Amino acid sequence: MLQAKEITKKFRQQVVLQQACLEVNSEIKALIGINGSGKSTFLKIVAGIVSADHGKVFLNNCDVTSLPPEQRNVGYVPQHPALFQHLTVKENILYGMRNGKGSIDTYERIVDLLDLQAVLDKHPRELSGGYRTRTSLARALVPQPQILLMDEPLTGIDVVLKERILPDFRKVLKELQVPVLYVTHDPKEAELLADNYALMDNGQVRQVDTSAEAFELIRTSILQEYA
Amino acid sequence: MNKEVIRIFFLPLFILLILFPVLALVFNLTMKGILATMVDPFFWDSVKNTLIAALLAAALAIVVAIGFGYYHLFHRDSMVYKVANLFNDLPIALPHTVAGLALLLAFGRNTFGFLGETGAAFTLFAVILAMFFVSYSLAARTLVSGVDQMEPEIIDVARTLGDNPSQVYFRVVLPLMGEALFSGFVLGFSRSLSEFAAVIMFGGNMPGSTQVLASYVFTKVEVGDLDMAVTAAVFCVALSFLIVSVLSFRRHRYAAS
Repeated sequence: MLQAKEITKKFRQQVVLQQACLEVNSEIKALIGINGSGKSTFLKIVAGIVSADHGKVFLNNCDVTSLPPEQRNVGYVPQHPALFQHLTVKENILYGMRNGKGSIDTYERIVDLLDLQAVLDKHPRELSGGYRTRTSLARALVPQPQILLMDEPLTGIDVVLKERILPDFRKVLKELQVPVLYVTHDPKEAELLADNYALMDNGQVRQVDTSAEAFELIRTSILQEYA
Repeated sequence: MNKEVIRIFFLPLFILLILFPVLALVFNLTMKGILATMVDPFFWDSVKNTLIAALLAAALAIVVAIGFGYYHLFHRDSMVYKVANLFNDLPIALPHTVAGLALLLAFGRNTFGFLGETGAAFTLFAVILAMFFVSYSLAARTLVSGVDQMEPEIIDVARTLGDNPSQVYFRVVLPLMGEALFSGFVLGFSRSLSEFAAVIMFGGNMPGSTQVLASYVFTKVEVGDLDMAVTAAVFCVALSFLIVSVLSFRRHRYAAS
């Protein structure tokens, strides 16, 4: 379970996050927002990659605010798959085990669920976009993280493939019962993957019922800004 | 218009200032000079000294550059990084006679006693240190430019998978920096090969002992043996072309892969 409380972050004089609060229980939550709204920064603060100016991050009720990423046990799937090019797919997926995270049983189950058997001995440059994203997801899941953070991982993948991949991802994530925070600016992606939704607007997080509602609120906010 | 201006200025200036001096060396080659140089043991000693010292200096430069790359990536706000970064640019602007003199004083007996005790001055070790001093910044800059081109998410992901900064650096960053490391090594090696002033100030110019190709050519000119100087100089040009070709070949192969 993730609890982020009153997260504030400024880059120079620009306020990116202003007392943003969010909770993720055992669910897939989509955090929706336009580009530059601060959702990726929020995700990186939860992962420990960026430090907050103010606020606290709790994972399973433990305060991890001051811990570096390697001590937080979060899974991170960035916008670009960021696969380690010098390693094979198998070595990429097993990477966390070098640091004692995960087990061979989990690895085999995830490889099976994500249908990666055929490409295990290949290098990332030999893979299609879809397989790269699957590998990136598998690598983040093997260490059995307390929460999986996904930062628009399907950027650059065509719509037809997205519609095929996302239900698969949802099935895998539900089967593994891992809480997920999925950042996106695409309402279709959010609908296909998430159980519920939150909106990142003006550096703050608001709970919404549907992705359509989130986008309506964003649209209104943009119109007000430029009116 | 602009194309014409470039053509009118570039070609004549390139031919006059770059091509002609190299051709002048080749045109002045004589059979007498070639034969005399090829049987001169001091020439081969200087070739051996140059290659050994330049290889070791470049290797040392890469090792230190790897350390600098770590600070560049993970401790950019530290004082160590800021000072090292400032000193990185120094050898580029510094006259190399000054670099040689600085090394001579540092490793002499009067400044830092413990360094003087090493007795490094005027040995092949001094030649290596002088070459390192002038080539390190090239290796460091090349490595750092490779590090800067890497996707930052790769480091972020490795951290969330349990790596601390030094583990990320050695397990992920450096293995992906193969091309930058190779280029840094070759550039450091090339710069070391061409060094004269710092080497002669700190290492001396003792035939068979600390003489390198650059100082061999200088000595032959000084004693009036132009034929042998030209032969050694053409040998240097050929060696430089070989290194540049290796670097270019690697770059093409890397770009194609």
